Amino acid sequence: MDHIGAPEARDHIEMVERILAESHQRLCAGGEYFVIWGICSAFITILFQLVDTDSIPGVALWSIPVALTAAVVFSILRSRSTRAALERSSLVQREFFNVLWLTLGLAFITNAAVYRIFAGIASAAIWSVAEAIVLLYIGMHGNRRAQVAGVLVIASLIAANFAPPGIAGYVLGAGMLVGYAGFGVSELLARD
Amino acid sequence: MDELLLSKVRLGVVAELLNFDWIAFSELARSLDVSNGNLGAHLGKLVEAGYVDEEKSFVKRRPLTRYRLTRRGREAFTDHVSQLQSLLKTAT
Repeated sequence: MDHIGAPEARDHIEMVERILAESHQRLCAGGEYFVIWGICSAFITILFQLVDTDSIPGVALWSIPVALTAAVVFSILRSRSTRAALERSSLVQREFFNVLWLTLGLAFITNAAVYRIFAGIASAAIWSVAEAIVLLYIGMHGNRRAQVAGVLVIASLIAANFAPPGIAGYVLGAGMLVGYAGFGVSELLARD
Repeated sequence: MDELLLSKVRLGVVAELLNFDWIAFSELARSLDVSNGNLGAHLGKLVEAGYVDEEKSFVKRRPLTRYRLTRRGREAFTDHVSQLQSLLKTAT
């Protein structure tokens, strides 16, 4: 206590309070990931529905691994370049990426390894649940658009549950496009 | 009180890093409005004391140095600020 007087202590405290108040804890969600994964998940869901209703041949399902690989490669490359170019990264941001990768990773594993339990439309619904969790997590940090998008994805899940089997996939796909990819577009527009 | 954090620049650095995973050197210099040389010297002391971790890398062939607050630094900051507040309470 001998090294500093009350005026200096006040000055230091005020500086600390100012810095902490300016520590902007906004979540930068990265709109492009939402656009890519929203389109990819909707594409897969709608494709399954089209094959299920015999509208297109089953061989079209082989485009799924291609779409998934493209989305994964894009996400990894984009995340590396974004991270390298950033000048600061908040703790909230780190937590968000953990939630994002955990949720989507679990959905991916469920689809790839638990397909006998979550077969057909249930596998698509898993993606909708994962997407809703991610969107509502962002919404919890004050992003109103993410809240609305999360509610839209949940609404599409409920609507798909009560829709005739022949169109349930289209309803889920629409939720993914409007909710998830739509949120990504709105983030990109807000950023610009 | 923590001798290291009696410096306003060093206290500012730790406060800046408190809510962040990491911050680049250039961003810290801009936020705190200090020269690169001055900031470098202060950061060197914080790194030496184990309050801050330094990570050097290259991005598009340009050097990038990032800093992250350690657990020790976080604890030292919390203790120091509560002592500053106690001092102010005593003075008033």
